[in-house]
Amino acid sequence: MIDLKVKIGTLRLKNPVLLASGTCGYGKELSDFLDVSMLGGIVVKGISLEPRKGNPPPRICETPCGLLNSIGLENVGVERFISEKLPWLKDKGVTVIVNCLGNSIDEYRELSGRLGNVDGIHALEINISCPNVKKGGALFGTDPELTFKVTKAVREETDLPIIIKLSPNVTDICEIARACQEGGATAVSLINTLLGMAIDIERKRPFLGNIFGGLSGPAIKPVALRMVWQVARCVDIPVIGIGGITSFKDAIEFFMAGATAIQVGTATLIDPTSSEKILNGIIDFMKENNYLKIADMKIKD
Amino acid sequence: MLQKRQILRQKVLSNTEIRPNIFLLKVASPEISVSATPGQFCMLRVTEDESNDPFLKRPLSIHWINKDTGEIQFLYRIVGRGTELLSLIREGEEIELIGPLGQGFKIEDKEIPIIVGGGLGIAPLLFLADILRGTRGVVILGAVTKSHLLRLGAFKESGLEILVATEDGSFGNKGLVTEVFDRLMARLDESDRKRCMVFSCGPFPMLRALYHLCKIYGVKCQVSLETFMACGTGLCLGCAVKAREGFLHVCKDGPCVDAKLIDWEG
Repeated sequence: MIDLKVKIGTLRLKNPVLLASGTCGYGKELSDFLDVSMLGGIVVKGISLEPRKGNPPPRICETPCGLLNSIGLENVGVERFISEKLPWLKDKGVTVIVNCLGNSIDEYRELSGRLGNVDGIHALEINISCPNVKKGGALFGTDPELTFKVTKAVREETDLPIIIKLSPNVTDICEIARACQEGGATAVSLINTLLGMAIDIERKRPFLGNIFGGLSGPAIKPVALRMVWQVARCVDIPVIGIGGITSFKDAIEFFMAGATAIQVGTATLIDPTSSEKILNGIIDFMKENNYLKIADMKIKD
Repeated sequence: MLQKRQILRQKVLSNTEIRPNIFLLKVASPEISVSATPGQFCMLRVTEDESNDPFLKRPLSIHWINKDTGEIQFLYRIVGRGTELLSLIREGEEIELIGPLGQGFKIEDKEIPIIVGGGLGIAPLLFLADILRGTRGVVILGAVTKSHLLRLGAFKESGLEILVATEDGSFGNKGLVTEVFDRLMARLDESDRKRCMVFSCGPFPMLRALYHLCKIYGVKCQVSLETFMACGTGLCLGCAVKAREGFLHVCKDGPCVDAKLIDWEG
């Protein structure tokens, strides 16, 4: 009998497939297509203390096997999330992980304190890696000392499991991951988008309104997989794999690299049911290859 | 209980180049034909199942629907690799699509509908003209030159009054659709103008000029917006356009919106 359950500290997931932040709204947007409660959980759109309008258009640009975006963390703010968005998720019995973004360590502290005592929230994913906002975000995720400080500050505020979402735009990902572990993180998730850009050669100007954007989709999967492999071998806390997972085969690669769970992101934008298909594919693969649990798939060095 | 929306695989009835680089795609989709309203759109997959390039589905507005036969039509121009691949799909093959999506035009009884389409902007307007059959409605179609005029015969079948503008004067009135619209409004009396509702789609400068005329004449105006889209379903927030206040998301707030909500100078 296959056991799909995974543990991320005290967070228990019924299966290892999560929806990645920024590609699934607050869950309800997907409910026309998918029963979100069948998944391991949802990481909702990044939340800040105050609502954010996001970046000027154009915000997206398709690239070979990928997508550049500069949405800029448009979100309803923490209070409206709790009052308007969370009740639906609670009602459906969805495991909710809230992606948190601050401009300063104090803001991360305040936000996690506010969310830490709310019923229906099962874990926090601390976003220190968004490339699309000027302050905060990637500023923290590219500096091991700031990473440590943010992690420690959040850890002091809440007993919820804390997942730190890492940026790939660094020289040494292990240095950042170790700072998370030392700061008291429950787990790390990686990767966020790769910083990129596109130029409109007809209009002779950068394509995106924000000039730079984050690259996601199948194009970044090899980079993500390499970083997950490295981090799974340099820290003792669970690693959640993200980056271009489009089919169950991609997910299996991440489990073999050492991921405890995975997040489906950009693939949901193309096919809102792709997470369900990936989950079914994982089950079939495990049956055919006689794996009993997710951890059994990790390649031993 | 809301029925789960399906990702449909439907049979292509034909995919014909009606003008150089402009295609009329006909798909058998009874599901979409019964539920869609004018102005809504679908996301179409242009590649085979396992291919990730191009990665995104393509948003196309619904051009026309036959509710009796379950046929839906799309009108598109080849503008890049995605639409080029779409143009290669042949009769009898299947295409993956999601729809109908977004907000269509808001139609009210007792209004006098004025439909204004420029270039390929006529795409979502034929379905609308068909629905407005039997009203006092007027359709104004514009193109650069006679050979660029699209689907004139199909619009005539709606029975609405058709006015045509070509920039070079090779057919109909010489000039822009906005000039024809201006003359039409000038000859209506105040009470009729108050009852008019303009439905429009076309290049941004055309829509902006039209909106300004509507403001001068005190006429209500809805526009169908076009922008880059990733998901089409409200997940990514990528299709934002500048509004009077903040942003509108074309896939969920639109594509059809009240023109006064848009920041036309933004």
